[in-house]
Amino acid sequence: MIHESSITAIAVFLAFVTSVLAISFRLGSKAKSAGGYFAAHGHVGWFVNGIAFAGDYLSAASFLGICGMIAVSGYDGFLYSIGYLAGWIVALFVIAEPVKRLGRFTLADALNARFGSRGVKLVAAVGTLVISLLYLVPQMVGAGALVKPLLGLPHWVGVAMVGAVVTVIVATAGMVSTTWVQFIKGTLLVFVCSILVWMLLARGFALPSSPIGPGEVQRLARGTAGTLVNGAPLSAENQLDSALRRGHGTGFGSVASLPGGVASTGALGPVEYISVFAGSSITTWRKGVDADSGETTFSPVERSGSELLLPGGSPTFRGVREDSLSAKFDFLSLMLALFLGTASLPHILIRYYTVRDASAARKSTVVGIGAIGVFYILTLYLGIGAMTSGALDPTDSNMAAPLLARTFGEGLFAVVSAVAFTTVLGTVSGLVIAGAGAVVHDLLRDGLGLRLDDASQVRAGRIAAVVLGLGAIGLGVLFEGVNVSFLVGWAFNVAASTNLPALVMLLFWRRTTRLGVIVSMSVGLGTSLGWILLSPDTLERVFGYTAAEATARSPVPFSQPAIVTVPLAFLALVVASLLGDRRPPAVRGHPAGDPSG
Amino acid sequence: MSSRRRWIGPLLFAVYTLAYAAFVFVAAFASFEGGKPAGGLAREAYAGVNWGVIAGFGLIVGAFLLAVVYALAGPAATEDSEAPR
Repeated sequence: MIHESSITAIAVFLAFVTSVLAISFRLGSKAKSAGGYFAAHGHVGWFVNGIAFAGDYLSAASFLGICGMIAVSGYDGFLYSIGYLAGWIVALFVIAEPVKRLGRFTLADALNARFGSRGVKLVAAVGTLVISLLYLVPQMVGAGALVKPLLGLPHWVGVAMVGAVVTVIVATAGMVSTTWVQFIKGTLLVFVCSILVWMLLARGFALPSSPIGPGEVQRLARGTAGTLVNGAPLSAENQLDSALRRGHGTGFGSVASLPGGVASTGALGPVEYISVFAGSSITTWRKGVDADSGETTFSPVERSGSELLLPGGSPTFRGVREDSLSAKFDFLSLMLALFLGTASLPHILIRYYTVRDASAARKSTVVGIGAIGVFYILTLYLGIGAMTSGALDPTDSNMAAPLLARTFGEGLFAVVSAVAFTTVLGTVSGLVIAGAGAVVHDLLRDGLGLRLDDASQVRAGRIAAVVLGLGAIGLGVLFEGVNVSFLVGWAFNVAASTNLPALVMLLFWRRTTRLGVIVSMSVGLGTSLGWILLSPDTLERVFGYTAAEATARSPVPFSQPAIVTVPLAFLALVVASLLGDRRPPAVRGHPAGDPSG
Repeated sequence: MSSRRRWIGPLLFAVYTLAYAAFVFVAAFASFEGGKPAGGLAREAYAGVNWGVIAGFGLIVGAFLLAVVYALAGPAATEDSEAPR
């Protein structure tokens, strides 16, 4: 679809981004040392850090991906909300305080605190880089999805814009400004989404001007002659939803019937809103391909609201409704990855180093859980609102939330888009900082033994940030159109498999050895990545096989690896610790960041 | 550190993990038969809203409540310097 930009939208958007950059530069100018650049001197207050946790965590996957998935498939997107939040329980009760006590700059600091091992540092650094990159991809895809409707620019321009702005933020300022960007973004995101939900409830549901018939298939063809919509060239007047708007006064995603046969409901309360939705019929759109012409088709399918509020409606979670055991395992595995992944994400873990002590780390997490929890409750309303407001772009689910805001006017659309863009900026900044920290401290200094003074560390960190930013831009262009929550699922699987077994055993099993940690992390990283690359989902969504071909060709029985690879990494650690290097840890209580081997 | 305070974190973690596991297993094994809704999360809880929605909200709100309990009743700040077990 062609999305036209408006002057208001662009002005508000530019004002937002400029303000964030100005704050970033002002605060970043204070961070001259490595301690300031990578960990904000450990002086961030617990409340600010807690909201920054929310800013860091509520990424494009949460805002754009979850809302988009709910808008297209119903309840399944909400499963991500539940799993993402549940992961914070692992972070709070198991990981947060010990990690704060053990580390200084990076995740590897904590993992290596007992050993002073070059091997642990290297494996942890590689793991951090891979996970950060996997997590960066969906953020960049989300950025591309935002600028299309906002500025009327192609996907790749959005990706490049975020890459450039974030690289500037991180390369010039570091953790102090990143923290404040995330604090501002976290606050704005929860506030703006609350306003949007309040407006949704005040509007309630309404039917289109006339019913949409089952035969009103919308067709899209891309060829050498350009893009054709329903047989005519794509233009501002002939878009994918133009025929629907002319005939029915609505676009994609609308209510077909309401309880009691009314045409509109008026304002509804929060419980009533879901109750009315459950009793309604919704016109959803099924994507297909015309066997004769090869055109992409979008066919209207009427579904009951109560069915849309059940799990298993999307390809990612279809295992819930299938009887095969492998399909069930796929679902269980993803829910396990979401539960264990949060506490294993390097960019989340390093935020514990920005506060003064373990007590502040705990309070930060509680504040973070509160803000994140409020947001995730709102996602169900935002998704249902997007599903029924006639504003969906059926070619890209990631645009659902901003396009929903557009139904309330250009001003709100601009604000929501700007906040979403800031969302991407905040998360990408955190990821790039985590990656840069791993490169400088764990790879260059401790792994390769380069002697770097304080200023050199900051300089090397900035160069690493630029390189990571460029890599993320390339991958963001490559994965256009793939739902960002689905992509984030990969990062959670790899993070849970690579980091969690080593972290947990290091904290709670005294016989854990250096070799055990290295073997566990290597096994977790290698098997989870390999499993994902060979999975049916990857063969279908990335390599373009049909669903049947992908299932037949894939050597693994289901797509989400955590249920196999997490236990495997635990087992590898126990076996390697018991059979391998039996020497006691070289440096107990060894201060992080001062490796000796 | 008093034993009560030391155990409150693992206890709350166990409570939440059990609740989350129950939710996931009910979704996977007790809500559908032959692809059709059949009890579990698909069952209506209140005014047409099913248990899937109620349980989802419950897990989100429950996480926050447990976090608050931990902040109030967990290890005191002065006890934080103890080494992890």
